Amino acid sequence: MTPVDSLFLVSGLTLVVALLFGRQRLTASLLVALYGAQFAALVQTGTLFGDPVTASFGVTVLDQPMHWRYDALSWFFAMITIGAGFFCAWYAAGVWQEAHVKRGHSPWLFHVALAANVFAMVVLLGSGDFLSLFLGWELVSWASFLLMALGGRASGRAALRYLTYAFSGAMAILGAMALLYTQAGSLEYAQVGAAIPKLSAGQLWVLLALLGGGFAVKMGLLPFHLWQAPAYAETPGPGSAFLGAISARMGLYAIIVVIVSMVGVARLVDLSIPFTFLSGRDLIAWIAALTVILPTYTALQQHDARYLLAWHGIGQGGYMLLGLVVGNAVGSAGGLLHIFNYALTQAALLMAVFAVVHRTGTADLNKLGGLVARMPLTFLVLLFGIISLAGLPPMAGFVSKWMIYRSLITEGMPLLFVAAIVGTLGTILSVYKLIHNIFLGQLRLEHEKVPEAPLSMLIPMLALSTLIFLAGFMPGPALSWVAEVQRLVGLPQVQYSLGGVVDPRGGLDMIWLVSILLAGFGVGAVVFYGFGGKSQQVHQLNNYAGGHFLTADVRYQYSDNFYAGLMHLIGPWYRGAFRWIEDGVGGVVDLLSYAMNWVYRSVQPLVFLLATTVAMLVWAAV
Amino acid sequence: MEWKTLALELVLMPLVAFIVGMAMVLMMRKIAAKLQRRVGPPLLQPLYDIVKLHAKQTQVSHGLIHEIGIVMAIGGYVAAETLLPVPGMNGIAAQGGLIALLYMTMIPSLGLALGVGQCANPNGSIGISRALTAMLAYDVPLVIVIFGVAFHYGTINLVDMIATQQAGGVATWGAAQMPLLAIAGLFAMQGMLGKQPFEIYVAPAEIATGPMVEMGGKFLGGLFVMQCFQLYTAAVLYVTLFLGGGENWATFLVKSFAVLAIPVTIAMVFPRYRTEDLVRLMWKWPVMLGLLGLAFILP
Repeated sequence: MTPVDSLFLVSGLTLVVALLFGRQRLTASLLVALYGAQFAALVQTGTLFGDPVTASFGVTVLDQPMHWRYDALSWFFAMITIGAGFFCAWYAAGVWQEAHVKRGHSPWLFHVALAANVFAMVVLLGSGDFLSLFLGWELVSWASFLLMALGGRASGRAALRYLTYAFSGAMAILGAMALLYTQAGSLEYAQVGAAIPKLSAGQLWVLLALLGGGFAVKMGLLPFHLWQAPAYAETPGPGSAFLGAISARMGLYAIIVVIVSMVGVARLVDLSIPFTFLSGRDLIAWIAALTVILPTYTALQQHDARYLLAWHGIGQGGYMLLGLVVGNAVGSAGGLLHIFNYALTQAALLMAVFAVVHRTGTADLNKLGGLVARMPLTFLVLLFGIISLAGLPPMAGFVSKWMIYRSLITEGMPLLFVAAIVGTLGTILSVYKLIHNIFLGQLRLEHEKVPEAPLSMLIPMLALSTLIFLAGFMPGPALSWVAEVQRLVGLPQVQYSLGGVVDPRGGLDMIWLVSILLAGFGVGAVVFYGFGGKSQQVHQLNNYAGGHFLTADVRYQYSDNFYAGLMHLIGPWYRGAFRWIEDGVGGVVDLLSYAMNWVYRSVQPLVFLLATTVAMLVWAAV
Repeated sequence: MEWKTLALELVLMPLVAFIVGMAMVLMMRKIAAKLQRRVGPPLLQPLYDIVKLHAKQTQVSHGLIHEIGIVMAIGGYVAAETLLPVPGMNGIAAQGGLIALLYMTMIPSLGLALGVGQCANPNGSIGISRALTAMLAYDVPLVIVIFGVAFHYGTINLVDMIATQQAGGVATWGAAQMPLLAIAGLFAMQGMLGKQPFEIYVAPAEIATGPMVEMGGKFLGGLFVMQCFQLYTAAVLYVTLFLGGGENWATFLVKSFAVLAIPVTIAMVFPRYRTEDLVRLMWKWPVMLGLLGLAFILP
């Protein structure tokens, strides 16, 4: 038995335990331990720094062998997946599960869905050829559907919409596989990889459109992003954190396997778009940049904390792809590193938001406020998370975004650079609104007795926050993983140190930056607390109201339409064009299905049969 | 480098920044006074102000985050100054570079925003909403300038940029090589400093509708210190990018004060724009100038 077999075994065992004993209360803790065991099994494979390991089993379907193996890329993604599963299961194991049951949901379904997701992803990430890739892809789609559909009516609708997108994407991938099979005569990665350089430009464009389109659906790239925010946001608590952290990145994994590794960035640069100055790489980079900007500014308009974060999740995916297709050492490392940093960040953020939902019963940003006084630790988790999401020092998100900016400067791509920073600025605006409307401002009357989030939720949240800080303070370990992935997929490798990136033309050393920042805060504290009169705390209603008399029943919180001035200007730019297109496509499909229905029901079956026969004869004759 | 020298630099750089920053506040007030035919404040007035604000008996705090916000506002700039080379002292400029410096200066804004939010006054929150909107406005031309400069010098290390300019003389200064970007940078600086016509988000004239509404005593004192650092950082960064940095302390200070005198003088003769108008203006003229400037330096 190879180490990869044991990984699959432990992962499958987790699913079986969830299936059999998911109803028992204690199972939740056992599952956390099992996710931990999966992590240990993954580390045991040793595929990150060592050679790829193949699973000892395999299947042959229609003379096509299907097999599984783990390499550095699989390891990197599986590490994030299992880690996310571990923290989310931990978060779910205590008070959350009890509350979930009280709301009339089944803990069994949740545990099964989460375990199925992790298992499906572990299988997908181990795929060794296009058939096993497709199998894993479908497993992941169905597993995510299961998790998304748990939350009741709104989530059911969102999950169905996801399924529609996922099916269309899968069809596109199937088409691409047929194309590859005719060209390579095999679905093995090695043969396909050898055949791709021989494809003509036209064939390559078709392949990119089909595969890229199919993978983009899961990744939530423009224009296939509409399903993602509602589906992720409506999923119950830890499930949402899991999906938000890693699920969409499976699309990126497939993009790396096929487009970055097999096709290669150099080929994309050579692939010019007729009648323009653009290359294939520019096209993908601009899709990524628009995926950064548009969803981020949609997030800015949300007034539900879960939706706001889910929309940001789509936007952050754009940064990863942008870094990858820039393709130089620093940029692609930044894109890969952002997958890890973002997973930590998004999981912590969603957990904090769901802790607030757990205590107050709402995620509506217009119905919260002032909770920092009641839930200070949850505030701290959210604060660490938003600093990282916005890409400010000293948190993890800054490092990966810095690398992406740096690579865009090196490559001389000014407009993409501006686009990347405009996305970051939108994120800053939006996450300030998030933290302000939940935790700052005035505490509402009904929340005056709200306690801090329960310990069973707080501990995983705080653990994630610590990791976010550490990954920002010392990005070296994560960069060493990323460098291995780069080596594997044939990208130039980033030069790194424990503190960050080594570059003779301006690098980054986070150990220095974070230390000096903390020292600066120390100086600030001395200036503030060391000198002058002692400050006195006052009641929240004791503030300057310009002559108004404040009482507790007057709403005195600025939250709705937070950026009114900005929206006055850019509000009309929100046209909902993608929604319009989606409606249009939906309408056309509706019409076609009505037409088919009509033919099927009202026309004489004999006529139908005759028409089919004639059509087949014509086809045979031609 | 000897670690003792480095430690000394890390202490001296923020200290120098603070003292020069206070002098810059004084210059700002003196210019305003000259234009309004007043005498203006005495030499040590900025220091008196800080001492006075700290010494006040009533120090109203709205909670821990209100206080930590001020600590972050000062602390972020103290850290940022060690990334900004001055004559004879490079600090840890090589470990961060231009982008890190830019993001480091956002920490104080974040601290201020958090502190104001905790004050639970909607007037303050509206002020922050305007301030962040303004940031979205002036940062677009600013990042175009940053990109252009970094691309032109082929590095993001500020020490190398200064070395390049000083080796080649005035003709290789950023302002001579990239005049359009230098003008766009001036625009962005005006917005960054929150000076007229872009001062509505600070709203110093009608404190009750701005971010400062709940700030009194040493809270305001802390923000005063932050302003000293902010003026210094903006002026010195501009000198570093476009005017060859400082060959010695005399030219360094002359250049920095001269650069700062531009926005301050403009401020005193202009009325103000609404936030949306600020966004519209920032996204139009300086962005066009900046993009045009980029077109000249890109291959």
